[in-house]
Formats: sequence, C-alpha cells, structure tokens
Amino acid sequence: MSLIGIVATVWLGITGQLGLYIHPRYFAFSIIMAVVAAAVVIVSFALSPGDEHAGHDHEAETGHKRFWAGASSVVIAASAVALLVLPPTTLTTTTLEQRDLNGSAAALTEEASAKLTGGDASKFSVKDWASLLRQGAGVEFYAGKKAQLTGFVTPDQDDPENVFYVARFVVSHCVVDAQPVGVPVYRPGWQDEFPLDSWVGVSGGLTANPSVASSEGIVIIPEVVAAVDQPQQPYVY
Amino acid sequence: MLLTDSAAAEPSKAAERGGERARGQRRGLMGLLLGLAVLALLAVTRMSAPQSVAAGMSDSAKDFVTLAVSVLIESLPFVFLGIFLSVVVQVWLPDGFLLRHLPRRGVLRRFAVSLIGVLVPVCECGNVPLTRGLIMKGLTVAEAMTFLLAAPILNPITIITTYQAFGWDNGILVSRIAGGFLIANLIGWIYSRHPRQDTLLTSQFQAACASEGEHHAAAGKLQRSVRLFTKETSAMMPALFIGCAIAGAIQVGIPRDVLVTLGTNPVWSVLALMVLAFVVSICSNVDAFFVLSFGATFLPGAIVAFLVFGPMIDIKMLVLMRTTFTTRTLVQITSVVALCSAALGLAVNYVA
Repeated sequence: MSLIGIVATVWLGITGQLGLYIHPRYFAFSIIMAVVAAAVVIVSFALSPGDEHAGHDHEAETGHKRFWAGASSVVIAASAVALLVLPPTTLTTTTLEQRDLNGSAAALTEEASAKLTGGDASKFSVKDWASLLRQGAGVEFYAGKKAQLTGFVTPDQDDPENVFYVARFVVSHCVVDAQPVGVPVYRPGWQDEFPLDSWVGVSGGLTANPSVASSEGIVIIPEVVAAVDQPQQPYVY
Repeated sequence: MLLTDSAAAEPSKAAERGGERARGQRRGLMGLLLGLAVLALLAVTRMSAPQSVAAGMSDSAKDFVTLAVSVLIESLPFVFLGIFLSVVVQVWLPDGFLLRHLPRRGVLRRFAVSLIGVLVPVCECGNVPLTRGLIMKGLTVAEAMTFLLAAPILNPITIITTYQAFGWDNGILVSRIAGGFLIANLIGWIYSRHPRQDTLLTSQFQAACASEGEHHAAAGKLQRSVRLFTKETSAMMPALFIGCAIAGAIQVGIPRDVLVTLGTNPVWSVLALMVLAFVVSICSNVDAFFVLSFGATFLPGAIVAFLVFGPMIDIKMLVLMRTTFTTRTLVQITSVVALCSAALGLAVNYVA
C-alpha cells in the first residue's frame, strides 16, 4: 500500500503534475520522503517474513481474519484505482459552487494593493484583478486598463445568461483548502460558445456592469474570448 | 517467546547456522527482486493508464477523487516522517533515555511531554506513529495521549503560521496555544486516574507492544528498523487511506453554505466551525491560513475553537487513532476535547 502512494507521488513529481494536489513548497519534501520510504519498503521485502508470524497469529479466529483480508483488499484495489489508474484532474465547478467564489479574504488581500495599483495592468493575474475588484475602486480607476486573463469558465449565480467568471483556484497548502477567485466577464450567450469548466483566455477593458441582474459592479467587456488548453499549472498560489 | 528461551536454544542452533544463512541470503535476494518487480508493475500501471478512463465520471465523483488524493498526497510524507521518528525513538534511543530525562511527578511530567512537540515539528498525522513509538518505549497511555493532543498545536511551525495569519488579533494565537496545552493536560490527567490503562488500547496494538520485546536480541538495529517501519506502515496505511476517502466524500457531500450561514451567531458560529474542522481534516501547520478565509464571517471565538479542536480531533485523525486506541476511549476523548474547545470558543466570544 505504501508503494501505491509512493509510486503515485513520484510519478506525479516527475511528470510535473504534483501541483495538481499540493503547494509547490512541499514538492521536494514529498518526493524525498517518498523515495526514502520506497527504499525501506523494498529492503523490507528482502527480510524473510517467516519469523514475523510467531507472535500474534495464535488467537485470531479464521472467520474474522478472512473478513479483514477481504476488506483490506477492497481498500487496496480502490486506492490503486484512484491513485494509479485515474488521470489526475483539477477541481470542477461543482466544488466551486460549494466554496463561495471570491468569498475568501485570505486568498485575496494578501497581495499588497500598492503593488497592484502601481503595477503593469496587463500582467495582472486572475487573483490580482479579483483583489482589486474586491477593494471596490471606482470605474475611473479601471479606465484605460486592460486585463489579459486565463481561467476556467463558471457562471455568475445571479445572471448566468450574460455573465460568467474567468476563475482559478488559489491553493495555500493542498487542494482541500483551494479557494476560488474569479473576475466577471460580460458576454451574453457565452454558454453557447464555451462549456462549463473549459479553459478560456480573455482580454478586454473593465467597466461598469451592463447586466442588471448581476451583483458585480465592474466587469470585463471582452474584446477576445478564446478557448485555450488547460495550463500546466492550473492553480495559483 | 521470552528472551531466555531463545538464548537457551542458541548453542544447539549454531551448527545449522551456516547453511541457513546461505539459504537466507538467497531468499533475501528473491525478496528484493520481488519488491522491485512490484514497484515496476505499479509504475507501469501508472504510466500506461489512459487519460480517457475518467470520461464517464460525474463532476462530483471526480472532485471526490481529487480531494481524497490531495489529502493523501499531502499527509503521506508527514506520516512517513512520523514513522521514521517513531522508529528512531524505539530502536536507536537507548532504553530508559526518555524516561530518565523527564520529571518524575505526574503533572510536571505531562507538562514536559506536551512540550516534546516543540522538538519534533510534525503535524498531527505524523504524531500517531510517533505516539505509538512512545508508548512502546514505556510512556504511560495517559502521557502519550497528552503528547498526541498537544504536539500539533505546541509546535513551532503551527505557532509561526498562526502568527502569520492572525498576529495578536483578539488573542487568537494566545488562546490557541494556552487552550491546546490545557486541554491536552486535562485529558492526560483524566486518563492518568484510569486504573487499567492497557484497556484503553486496541488488542492489536497491545499484541504489537508485547511482541516488541522478542526481537531485541535477535536482529541488528538496522534490520529491526526496517521491520518496524514495515509494521507501522501496514498498520497506518489502511487507516490513512480510508480516512482520506471519508474526508473527501464529506467535503463533496456537505455544502459549505450551511456552515457559513451559521457564522454570525456567537453560539452557532463556534459549533459550525468545529464541525468544519472535524470535516476538512486539514493539517495543523496550515489550518490557520485556511480558517483565515472565514475570518470575515466568523467571530474570533469560533476561530479559536476551530484552531484548537481541528488539530486534536478530525475524521482522518480518528481513523488513524483507531489503530491504537479503542473506540470507547476515542469517543470519550472526542467529547471532552469538543466540550472544552466549545467552552473556550464561547469564552473568547464573550470577552471579545
């Protein structure tokens, strides 16, 4: 069982997909521990298991034992499928809906706003823009600034017809704590062009939201929205 | 099974030894090859698995797998580290080293034990194997429990991350450290009054403790380390895998809105975040950042309750702890810790 976890970790590390699950600062630690553990487990195969049994096998009734043997092989099989057979994927909109888009103060306000207000707007990430929008600067602030963003598509709950979000998950440790952030984009009929969870590149200026139903004040009026491949590193940190 | 038995049998065995060793070496080589073959088989499976397998799965099922695997990949290295430390404590520390250096009196001794966490900065999942090692090394169950509950909170990494997340705001950091320390020592005190401490442990673990003595003379330290590592991993891994799966399933199943809407009520907010802490099973080193995202919605007392309860008790931890303690004991610990954390949270809310 350890080997299943180890092989999965190392493989993810080698193919650069470990980022789908944990924050990059843990990469080295995970891989080192996995490799060391792998060495020990392999060596343990070499020690003859025969003399291990002496102590504890006497009392166990066979029926009981068979049940646990069955249960543990189910667990092993299930974990092998989850870790070794299924391709690694990112979280989807289903999880995003559970986690209150842009609801997380931590994910957004950590960035110093000074850096953002002075910086080169075309290089801002989804996270940067979402932080700015949250701080509630007026429309004038956005005049002349252009956003260029990549993220996945998720609908605005209030006005799903006209507005969608370019969204990313922000990961502070592992995917379990992923917090979604997103920037609203005004594009009526977007649902016919892009399926949910597909990745898009959006560029355009920001201005007051023409949608009446949506609660967002400022949106991107896109000049270009194009489908793109999922980036190698789908989460932001 | 006693040491004297094997010692007495020694001379008569000496003659056979030569032939046996050659056979043993061949068997060892076979084992090594077998291990490598299994490794290769798993690696090949992983590399050849087609991308399209998941096509038929619903989004929730996919997210479930992603979340469960994420918790697993995240905690696996910490569990390995914990097991390594446990092996070091059991095999490489001279007998009685630990016991000699601790204060003798019950209360002071538990104080000292709960501070061991400062020296070994592993988070809670790594602490379970280490705790098992400490019990095998002669610490009483009550003392080991104190360590298990205190270490994830009284640990430099946790304290630093909590400070980074909250600073000195509302006494969150202070309440967390003090609260964790007190609750752990309270539990330790309660169980130190227990007349028969062995009965708190599962029979499997008791058997493991009993059989521990046998190998002492027989094998070299390295061999014993490897063997112990295997034994501990095979006890921990199923629990870890199952715990991760349950944690993943519940996260997909329970909408967070339910919890968040409770956030502003002084009483309900405390309970809601405790349930959340129980469910997400997040590592104590980083839970401060996680809960920071709720800081706007929830009262400080609720956050303290989250930060104290979460590291001690959550789904993943309970499944891991079940390898060592009986269900009855775990229910008792959980209720005491929950009550104390809730009381602490309410008190902070009242003061703030």
